[in-house]
Amino acid sequence: MPETIDQYQEGKRDVTFRVFRFNPQVDSKPYFDDYTISAERGITVLRSLNYIKEHVDASLSFRAFCQAGICGSCGMRVNGISKLACTSQVWDELDKCREPGIIKVEPLRSLPMIKDLIVDMDPLVDKMKHYSNWIETTMPLAEIGKKEFLVSEKEFHRYDKATDCILCASCVSECSILRANKEYVSPAVLLKSYRMNVDSRDGIHDVRLSELVKDHGVWDCTHCYRCQESCVKSIPIMEAIHAIREDAIECRGPKDTSGAKHAEAFMEDIEKKGKLVEATLPIRTNGMVWTLRNLLPMAMKMIVKRRTPPPPPLVKSAKGIKVFRAMFREMTEHVKQDHLKSHKK
Amino acid sequence: MKPFDIVIVGGGGAGLYAAMEAMKTNPSLNIAVLSKVYPNRSHTSAAQGGANAALGNTAKDDTIEMHIFDTIKGSDYLADQDAVDVLCSEAPKIIRELENIGTPWSRLEDNTIAQRPFGGAGRPRCCYCADKTGHTILQTLYEQCLRKGVIFFNEYFALKLSVNGSRSRGLLAMNMKTGKVEAFPAKTVIFATGGYAKMYWNRSSNAAGNTGDGQAIAYRAGIPMKDMEFVQFHPTGLRKSGLLVTEGARGEGGFLINKDGERFMARYAKEKMELGPRDLVSRSIETEILEGRGFDSPAGKYIHLDLTHLGADLIKARLPQIREMSLNFEGVDPIEEPIPVRPTAHYSMGGIDTDNFGRTIMEGVYAAGECACVSVHGANRLGGNSLLDILVFGRIAGRTAAEEAGKFEPGTISEAELKDSVDDLRSRMQPSGHYERYGALREELGQTLALNVGIFREASLVKKGINDISELQDRFKKVRVFDSSDVFNTNLMQVLELQNMLDLAETVAAGALAREESRGSHTRIDFPVRDDEKWHKHTLATRINGKISAGEKPVTMGRYELQERTY
Ligand SMILES: Cc1cc2nc3c(=O)[nH]c(=O)nc-3n(C[C@H](O)[C@H](O)[C@H](O)COP(=O)(O)OP(=O)(O)OC[C@H]3O[C@@H](n4cnc5c(N)ncnc54)[C@H](O)[C@@H]3O)c2cc1C
Ligand code: SF4
Ligand code: SF4
Ligand code: FES
Repeated sequence: MPETIDQYQEGKRDVTFRVFRFNPQVDSKPYFDDYTISAERGITVLRSLNYIKEHVDASLSFRAFCQAGICGSCGMRVNGISKLACTSQVWDELDKCREPGIIKVEPLRSLPMIKDLIVDMDPLVDKMKHYSNWIETTMPLAEIGKKEFLVSEKEFHRYDKATDCILCASCVSECSILRANKEYVSPAVLLKSYRMNVDSRDGIHDVRLSELVKDHGVWDCTHCYRCQESCVKSIPIMEAIHAIREDAIECRGPKDTSGAKHAEAFMEDIEKKGKLVEATLPIRTNGMVWTLRNLLPMAMKMIVKRRTPPPPPLVKSAKGIKVFRAMFREMTEHVKQDHLKSHKK
Repeated sequence: MKPFDIVIVGGGGAGLYAAMEAMKTNPSLNIAVLSKVYPNRSHTSAAQGGANAALGNTAKDDTIEMHIFDTIKGSDYLADQDAVDVLCSEAPKIIRELENIGTPWSRLEDNTIAQRPFGGAGRPRCCYCADKTGHTILQTLYEQCLRKGVIFFNEYFALKLSVNGSRSRGLLAMNMKTGKVEAFPAKTVIFATGGYAKMYWNRSSNAAGNTGDGQAIAYRAGIPMKDMEFVQFHPTGLRKSGLLVTEGARGEGGFLINKDGERFMARYAKEKMELGPRDLVSRSIETEILEGRGFDSPAGKYIHLDLTHLGADLIKARLPQIREMSLNFEGVDPIEEPIPVRPTAHYSMGGIDTDNFGRTIMEGVYAAGECACVSVHGANRLGGNSLLDILVFGRIAGRTAAEEAGKFEPGTISEAELKDSVDDLRSRMQPSGHYERYGALREELGQTLALNVGIFREASLVKKGINDISELQDRFKKVRVFDSSDVFNTNLMQVLELQNMLDLAETVAAGALAREESRGSHTRIDFPVRDDEKWHKHTLATRINGKISAGEKPVTMGRYELQERTY
């Protein structure tokens, strides 16, 4: 498009922001407002929103603080993907628009709406508390402040990346299971739990783990990888989730938790019969998609570990089959890659 | 609401440490932490470099005494020497305590906490966690507060102190989620609201909310501000946003270039060139711009930080974050083009006047962290000393308040006072006729401060600044809040923040005009040398009957005599 190139050379382009609006005091349901502004090269989505707030519509509400990708305040969905508004370039986003020239801006998902782009972060904080996302030091009280724990750089690197998390909740918004089950622990909280569990200074590893293996915990993760793909700090969240699972099986045995048990049964099912027997699966309680998403990944991982090639699945239900196949392919790929990665290390 | 023993305003490093320590000192106390952002978002998370403590891990011969000396010298001899003693003596303990409760630190071969060299320090004593030290410290403190069950009022915006004669009855704050003004009757209040450098707006590296709210609230309640004229500038902020490009860029060999293509640092620091001390480099860049050798753009004048000669590989490997910042905020890839930069307001040395225990002159009111001025930084803060300051004095303020809360009656806040506060907010939403845009005022304030009360100051300039500020204060009365909603009214919040900046700006400018000397970060072109005879003292600014009134306070000596500060 030549006119775009001209504009590019000028360093300015007209951009429409289609922004999700909702004020619980007056609106019975959300709607979108369009704001068209002229955006120069190098401008971020956050700066554009600031501009709109200052010059066009002061009631447009969103959070922002550091404006430098450090504080995690400005998580929102831009063109359908959860990310930080302050580090997203408008001109990059223009390439990703579904409708040319229109950037869609929406609040994060899976957290209660407050107003416009602002969602309630309290559920996330509550989960951090529920899963004891802190170090309970093993240093005797009388010794605190008097000496250091000796910690190797190697141990530090085990949680270094995990401590990059700025709790922006982008992963929370992208998590597939959270959208169905709000009580699910959340990727960021799993990551933080992992970070605590591998820290040698901590004294409540077992307590935390016993909570993580319960319902809505680590076994509920479907391995869809969306959290990792959307993490604004490129943290390998899935490595943390695997590590917790492996740790759980190691510390608590494979039969200990319902998740592990189901995964095992599921895997046997596929291995022995080459197909899924619906009756043996907890479909009644959780539904087809849920069951597949929850149990398939772990089963796949076990199969790969035993080097048994997964047989092609057969599902009778015509409704679920497309979803299932797509998921199966996606997960097989992820599990394989993941497995390769962990071997390379 | 049930009266609190302690209400802490601010959930940054200072506020959280105060909360933790207060609970430890007396677990039966009823303590609340109020914060306008979730505590983990506080600006403490932006500190990359680290925190100083003479642990002696990296340099075995480092001592607390050397740390004290470096700090006093760095302060250009304006720090109170007994306070510096507390700061540096507590440093090893507090860093170890943080280590004990879970802060991840980078480690040395012998598995102890790693330390690196930092500007102005005689030994490598800056403890760090990669390039995210503030972030990890803040996370640890937040985690520990959650563990201990500290009661948080997140996204509450503090509005004013309720004052009864010489003491406080508590605090009024707006719940952002509901828009309601709530009373927090309390025996004691601790301010830990961070710095005020954001009043330089686009010429500041600070978060949008570092608007000096606590200081402004205290100032309006009659509590003196100390040494407000001292604002530290960092040489390389991005042109458009003021965001920081860290020293790393110059450390790896980046050049500073003017419009004529010169590496102009040759004129100011022949040997060290780009690696001279912060204030010298800042002044040099500013001189180039003032003398017309800067570049011009709609976003203001600037010079180039050129990394192109370093090559793509080195930039990608060693300066990935700087590249990302430059791409994100200027749309410039430093591999191909130089980064547009200019000095940026970075840290506020001045603040609420406190003693070494965090007490202010008002009974039951304490302050700690960047919003307080003890003073340990004097005229110039050393890198890595401010994280230390917020931890050490946050803890002390928490302990003092916990010990002293019993002395005070629980305050009560009347319905009438609450209603006044609500009416005040409401009235801003319905002015008629001509109105002002808060966004424009905010930008103008930043510009006039940067121009007239910035790196170079001079009587006539500062007077111009004072005029501008008072005009802006007048125009502020016509600022209108367009968002009429109660729920999360960020429009109203930003207007209130602007008011705080405008109130405090007058203290910064007044100090800058009064102090007829050049010391630390304060450079007067018309008084280019340090004048110990007349100005070896703190300045105070107090609001009496709505008018600023100047005062002063001696500097506590006792350890080191005045010397010339040379490096
Ligand atoms: C880019 C950058 C890099 C830095 N690097 C370093 C470094 O390497 N080493 C170092 O020592 N220092 C460094 N500093 C300085 C240091 O980070 C700060 O001085 C310090 O973190 C301030 O901590 P604080 O707890 O006082 O305030 P903050 O962390 O700023 O916290 C203030 C708190 O007060 C709350 N608050 C404010 N106003 C209100 C209100 N009206 N109502 C309710 N709550 C309110 C906020 O929500 C926040 O929780 C750096 C600063 C910057 C800007
Ligand atoms: S991999 Fe697990 S935690 Fe991550 S988004 Fe998918 S379900 Fe959620
Ligand atoms: S894990 Fe990544 S995406 Fe999730 S909250 Fe942390 S930084 Fe954000
Ligand atoms: S505003 Fe802090 S991360 Fe975007």
